[in-house]
Amino acid sequence: MGNYLHELSICSALLDQVTALAALRGADAVNRVTIEVGPLCGVDPALLCAAFAVLRTGSCAAQADLSIDTMDVRVRCNTCDATSAALPNRLACPLCGSFRTRILQGDELRLRRVELSMPPAPMAALACAPSPMP
Amino acid sequence: MCIDCGCAVPARTSTATPQRAGTITAVNLLQDLLARNDAMAAHNRDHFNEHGVLVVNVMSSPGAGKTALLEATIVALRDRLRIAVIEGDLETDNDAARIRAHGVPAIQITTGTACHLDAALVHQALDELPLAGLDLLFIENVGNLVCPAGFDLGQHRNVTLLSTTEGDDKPAKYPVIFRASDLVVLSKADLLDVMDDFNPLRALAAVRALGCDIPLVHTAVRRAPSIGAWLAWLESEVEALRCRLDRGSRAGARPPSAGTRAVPFTPAAG
Repeated sequence: MGNYLHELSICSALLDQVTALAALRGADAVNRVTIEVGPLCGVDPALLCAAFAVLRTGSCAAQADLSIDTMDVRVRCNTCDATSAALPNRLACPLCGSFRTRILQGDELRLRRVELSMPPAPMAALACAPSPMP
Repeated sequence: MCIDCGCAVPARTSTATPQRAGTITAVNLLQDLLARNDAMAAHNRDHFNEHGVLVVNVMSSPGAGKTALLEATIVALRDRLRIAVIEGDLETDNDAARIRAHGVPAIQITTGTACHLDAALVHQALDELPLAGLDLLFIENVGNLVCPAGFDLGQHRNVTLLSTTEGDDKPAKYPVIFRASDLVVLSKADLLDVMDDFNPLRALAAVRALGCDIPLVHTAVRRAPSIGAWLAWLESEVEALRCRLDRGSRAGARPPSAGTRAVPFTPAAG
């Protein structure tokens, strides 16, 4: 790690995870990567996309699409126990006004799903599985 | 949140469920993108706990007075606590030289183009810094209110400085870093009487609006120096860590980890 924008370091960590998974599964290539990026994780989705377009070059994810699920922020109030939608800089309870809240959703920064392009299945596997379309 | 049932999915879990669809395999995961950094941070924290050293990650925008505050802190506490500093800067070792002039060890990490420290850089710095015999280690992060917030270094506590020469709405503009903090230091408080547009109550309200029940202390190190509340917080945290580690070793258990992306051991004293 160690790049000017932290989105570059994070994207590099993402590609490490994705390419390791592809190698583990014996995939030919990565088709699509889906990640969750909450507004409170401190990462800019647009910058992450830009970093992905550059860093994927030369890897097995060179043709992969990156889809980013930006999450809404939700908080639970420790005072009145209500669950509410919130904004990244308005995290107090909108109902009772208490600032003793905790984040239920909105600080995610994680890899959710990877679509891998697999080589043709071996004959043994074909014997007990439906044949893929040519 | 899980798209299937709407439950809150706990972080750091990973479940791989391959679904074969022709020659495309979809693998569902819930894997933290910073898992590798977090593992290194946990390793650093084990080192710190093993030596009973409280580690405080000090963050702010450039020029908020991190180094000046650390210098004043060293002068005030060096007879009571054994202190060292890891300095993160884009270029120069000027800050480390300022710290060393006070007779305490300072390791400079020059990040070059990197805008933040990460756990691996801190681990590297530990090679040059014997932890045995230390009570308190400051990590002065790169001056930046955006990037450092996301990277756990293995510290026990995060402190963010907000200087009176900045806007009092900084917490609303940079919610991630202030929300990750255990203490906000309102630095250059001696300038409050001339900085008419900075209202400390508005700054506190902006912190509270982030759902942060954390203390805010005023410090001044130039005119009319005043860092008593900051020193009291630090000393209480050093003591609290010792108690936690004593309890942990008596119970034969390792203390839980804290960090920017983890729940701290206990709420910071208010």
